[in-house]
Amino acid sequence: MKTPLILDIKGNSLDDGHGIRTVIFLKGCSMRCCWCHNPESQAPEAELSVSPKDCIGCGDCRAVCPTGAASPGHVDREACQKCFRCAQVCPARAYRIMGQERAMEEIVERCLSDKAFYDASGGGVTLSGGEPALYPDWCAALAEQLRAKGIFVLLETAGNVPYDALSQMLPPLDAVYYDIKLMDPVLHRRYCGADNGRILDNFRKLRQDAAEGRVALLPRTPLIPGVTDTEENLAAIAEFYRENGVRRCELLPYNPTWTGKAAALGREVPYELQRHTTPQDGEKLRRCREIFLRAGIEC
Amino acid sequence: METKTHSIADIAAAAVLRVFGLVFSTVGRYREYLRNVDGWKDFSVGIVTEDGTVSQSIRFSDGKARVCSGVEDTDTRLIIQDTDVLRQLVSLPPNEVLTLILRNKMRISGNAFYMELFNLLISALMKKKQIAQMRAQVRERQQSGKALAEEEKLLPKRQAEYLSAPAADPGVHWLKDPYLPNYTLRDFPRLDRFLELHHTARPAVCLERAQLLTDFFRLEGFETRKDGTPWVPEERQGLAFRELMEKKKPLIRRDDLLAGTTTAKEIGVPLYPDGAGVMLWGELLTVHERMLNPYEPLSDDEIRALNEDIFPIWAHRNFREYVRDTYHEPLGQQLDERCAATFMWKTVALSHTVLDYPKLLRLGLQGIIAEIETELSAGCSEEKRRTLQAMIHCCEGVIAYARHLAETTEREAASEDDPARKRELEIIARAVSHSPEFPARSLEEAVQAIWIHWVGVHNENTNAGFSLGRMDQWLQPYFEADMGSLTTEAERECYLRHVLELIGCFYLRCQDHLPMIPDIGNYLFGGSSSDQAITLGGVTPDGGNAVNDMTYIFLKVTEMLNMRDPNVNARYHKDVNSDAYLKRLCEVNIHTTATPSIHSDTAVMAALEDHGYDPADIHNWAATGCVEPTLSGKHMGHTNCMMFNLVSPLEMAMNNGYHPLMRWQLGPRTGEAEDLKTFEDFLQAFFTQLDHQADLACEFNWQLGEAHAVLRPTPFMSTLIDGCISSGVDATKGGARYNSSGVACIGLADVVDSLLAVKSLVYERRLVGLEELFDAVRHDFQGREKLRQIILHEAPRFGSDNEEAAALANRVAAYIHECFRKHTNYRGGTYTTGFWSMSNHVAFGSLSGALPSGRHAYMPFTPGLTPEADASQSLLDNLKDVAKLDPHSLDNNIAFNVKVTPSPRDSHETAVDHLAAYVKAYAQLGGMQMQFNVVSSAVMKAALADPESYRDLMVRISGYNAYFTELNRDLQLELIRRADYQI
Repeated sequence: MKTPLILDIKGNSLDDGHGIRTVIFLKGCSMRCCWCHNPESQAPEAELSVSPKDCIGCGDCRAVCPTGAASPGHVDREACQKCFRCAQVCPARAYRIMGQERAMEEIVERCLSDKAFYDASGGGVTLSGGEPALYPDWCAALAEQLRAKGIFVLLETAGNVPYDALSQMLPPLDAVYYDIKLMDPVLHRRYCGADNGRILDNFRKLRQDAAEGRVALLPRTPLIPGVTDTEENLAAIAEFYRENGVRRCELLPYNPTWTGKAAALGREVPYELQRHTTPQDGEKLRRCREIFLRAGIEC
Repeated sequence: METKTHSIADIAAAAVLRVFGLVFSTVGRYREYLRNVDGWKDFSVGIVTEDGTVSQSIRFSDGKARVCSGVEDTDTRLIIQDTDVLRQLVSLPPNEVLTLILRNKMRISGNAFYMELFNLLISALMKKKQIAQMRAQVRERQQSGKALAEEEKLLPKRQAEYLSAPAADPGVHWLKDPYLPNYTLRDFPRLDRFLELHHTARPAVCLERAQLLTDFFRLEGFETRKDGTPWVPEERQGLAFRELMEKKKPLIRRDDLLAGTTTAKEIGVPLYPDGAGVMLWGELLTVHERMLNPYEPLSDDEIRALNEDIFPIWAHRNFREYVRDTYHEPLGQQLDERCAATFMWKTVALSHTVLDYPKLLRLGLQGIIAEIETELSAGCSEEKRRTLQAMIHCCEGVIAYARHLAETTEREAASEDDPARKRELEIIARAVSHSPEFPARSLEEAVQAIWIHWVGVHNENTNAGFSLGRMDQWLQPYFEADMGSLTTEAERECYLRHVLELIGCFYLRCQDHLPMIPDIGNYLFGGSSSDQAITLGGVTPDGGNAVNDMTYIFLKVTEMLNMRDPNVNARYHKDVNSDAYLKRLCEVNIHTTATPSIHSDTAVMAALEDHGYDPADIHNWAATGCVEPTLSGKHMGHTNCMMFNLVSPLEMAMNNGYHPLMRWQLGPRTGEAEDLKTFEDFLQAFFTQLDHQADLACEFNWQLGEAHAVLRPTPFMSTLIDGCISSGVDATKGGARYNSSGVACIGLADVVDSLLAVKSLVYERRLVGLEELFDAVRHDFQGREKLRQIILHEAPRFGSDNEEAAALANRVAAYIHECFRKHTNYRGGTYTTGFWSMSNHVAFGSLSGALPSGRHAYMPFTPGLTPEADASQSLLDNLKDVAKLDPHSLDNNIAFNVKVTPSPRDSHETAVDHLAAYVKAYAQLGGMQMQFNVVSSAVMKAALADPESYRDLMVRISGYNAYFTELNRDLQLELIRRADYQI
């Protein structure tokens, strides 16, 4: 069984499915969306994150670094060997390891401790990433254990995996939130770094699964200004939904907080947006929503 | 050299005092201040430095002042740390002088009120300069508020939305949609006008009560009767109260639906010189100019009456001075007056209880008199007889007041031109001429009866934490009877509207009086009103679902008026009350930003179960003052007798019994760092210091209890506390069926986090030595930031879903509980322990050094029982750890603050659902109380910059509500720093 590194376990999430949820973020993704909210989740291996604002300048990082790459608040990524000694000694946690091994029992226990809140709110656990479907055996095993404790489990996926991977996870899952980002294959390759043929195929098959009651399926589209929120793209998605009998979908307003996270990982920010779709931009959202409503799809 | 320094400072001080004395002895307009109605003031003030370099006194008698070397036999002494502080003292504005006292740079020994008189003399001389300094402070505060607000971009204000009730509760018989979504404040112009007045009128000091009582005692004698025979104190108070109520001005506010006013002012500050009222002496000339909580200026006549007539007679006849004189300024009192370890509310009042209002409504005052007469006719001891007669005098006084109100209202009705108002006045006059004298026959009469009685209660006893109890339960029968007598839908609709307006008027009436806060109190208890708690919902005495029509009516009024007081507390029984009710509580909380506070009935009732109380009485508990449980009508629980700083014993445990800020070897020697070989040693050292501080505080509380029994027994209040009539013993002497004293313990999370840091980093992981850690703490982590970061990231934290932290918190809480349970109060009752802080987590925090938890010196503690803001990213971890605490240790309740902001993406209903889910799960897990501030730091910052636009922004401090813009700056910043959770 391929075991993922865990990026984070976030309790009290109200944005990743119904009710109060715990979200487990797995590392590794088969796409490279340029607006990715969780850039630290793309690579499957552990990474070093540096936050200069937390640094107190004690110099412990420099003292333990074998290559001289680490210094207070700054790491030379070229020279860094990813031994993470700096992160182990940093008293202020300015240096941090992104991605750690966690035993499944520990994760289950952690999720269970919030069960009263799931019960009171109709919430549960959400598997997110990264792309959790890259670890279908592991996810299915975890979901089974949680299910056995009476916890509802939801999977968030971009669908860019073999259909079998998705299919084998369905039995212990209650719902799948499925991202449909761009319909144009060229644009999809350009902005998401992957082909969308398999994604759309998988969605058609999952729709069938959903229709036969094997899982609840909710397609979602992140509204990236100038990329996914164009009239053409949204109309094409709506048409695709209509063809596949989708009655309800979700539109996710753009959240620009990811740029800070990318910077801490030493990533270039490939896609700078001057103009953000924020929740306050009601008019814009209304127009996007209108496209789906016209096609008879609730959102 | 030493001697020379001594003589220069001493000579200078003597010279200043001599000039001062000369002015007051010779210049007519200053000499006037030394006058009393019956002669000249006779008092003396010493000024001495701790190092003895200065020791001078000034003695006033026969309208002259004389300066002497040495401070022996002075009435009061200002003890100053050194000559540097003395120099500062001369140039600082008055409120900054108070800061010197708080910071223990100087302290007062001897009569606290003569020091206030001395302050008045100083302010008479320096008035112009003081006022200029105060105005500069006001300007500075406005500017610094703008600077602190930074560039805050504000979200557009949400349009208020209102939900409809998903289902009705079995006790709701008349409301078709109990959420009453169709009513808003706009439907009630009268309430809107009163509310505007509430937010804009400046409070004014009212002399009525103080003057009438002073007149009575000057005529009839206080310690003894005029003929020299001893008084039974109850009898003296009963007669004085009767005269007070008979002579009290009967007023009805223009346009109001309820007759009667607590004071003779629009928004009045009644004076209780038998409590702490004389504290105002030093501020008589400047109180209208002070930066925080200014009052209307006092007139010359009022100043003269207070300075020459009222205050002189009470300067010794108050609770604090009684104990000082009787017990020679005991150690517990000295400690209390240093401000850093305890604040004894019993120096102000013996109140904080809930009266038997169903009895008042059932019997009327005449019925109560009849009950007392039956008790008298059964034959009894002389003392009991006089006590019972005093109770009758009190009831007669209030009956007389109600009759005067009826006459006034009738007169006003007769001369009223507006026919609608005329009719209203006639109805009011009819109600008042019947109730509270006779049993209430309608909701109108019931509310009127309670209000007039409430006026009486606050003219007998200090307005501090008296609480109204289970108003929804007690008024529901009258509401139902009224409704049942109506025949058409239109009549019922019209009546419901009237009830909403009547209850609204009642809320606004409750804000016609404010506690007298001396300026020092503005820094200790910012923005508090008298905290008149109303309790809604929960279960009935027999355990059934108590939610009824009136519950929802009170919630609607709470939502519409959005006022800090009455302090609305909601009981929620997870197995009995409906989701619809819980959702409504959360919706009102979202709309008002701060109220009601929500209590889990199962946990509160479990906390009370080992006191031997009757289970039906436990079911009938009501919140008192802030959050504390009182068994309605049967219990003198003085639930806020003291506020107790838990960090102070911890500081002493770290310093072998020495308190750094007080510079005082107060505690027992529990060992230097090297003696504390194990964590248990350190924990025991803390417990030993805790025991010692509690011993001192409880001893002082006992002495204050005696002071109340001697100086101000409360026969009127006693008539509505079960047990007092049958025993013929006043409530101040233990006549109540149940007696206890409630403590508010402050800083539990700070103490637990500190202990955990020591345990984990020093004794278990040996990352730092104990002495090294203590040394870093003493130096506020200066140059030791790395150690502080290790503590913040490596030590376990209470509130992070940490079993060890919760277990230690439970162990410490249980120890505190047992520590106080060992003591008995003056009334023969036990102690209960609560974990809430009003605003004293900020005040005590500002008087405490750094802590092993990594908290910096002088920063606020955590409010009430709230985990530290950084304990976890997940609110659920906070909720789980607080819910793990054993309720038996929390029998005076807790205040758990949670600051949340609804996500702009969610609908109103989703936000309500989320809030309700938190409460429900927290109650399931065993949590006791929680209170939401539904406001973001961004909004609070905007309010700093533009206080005028945010004057109704309500926040929950720790147990009580306040208007954010009125708070002192430390408290405002503490609220902003609290963890912000988006829901």
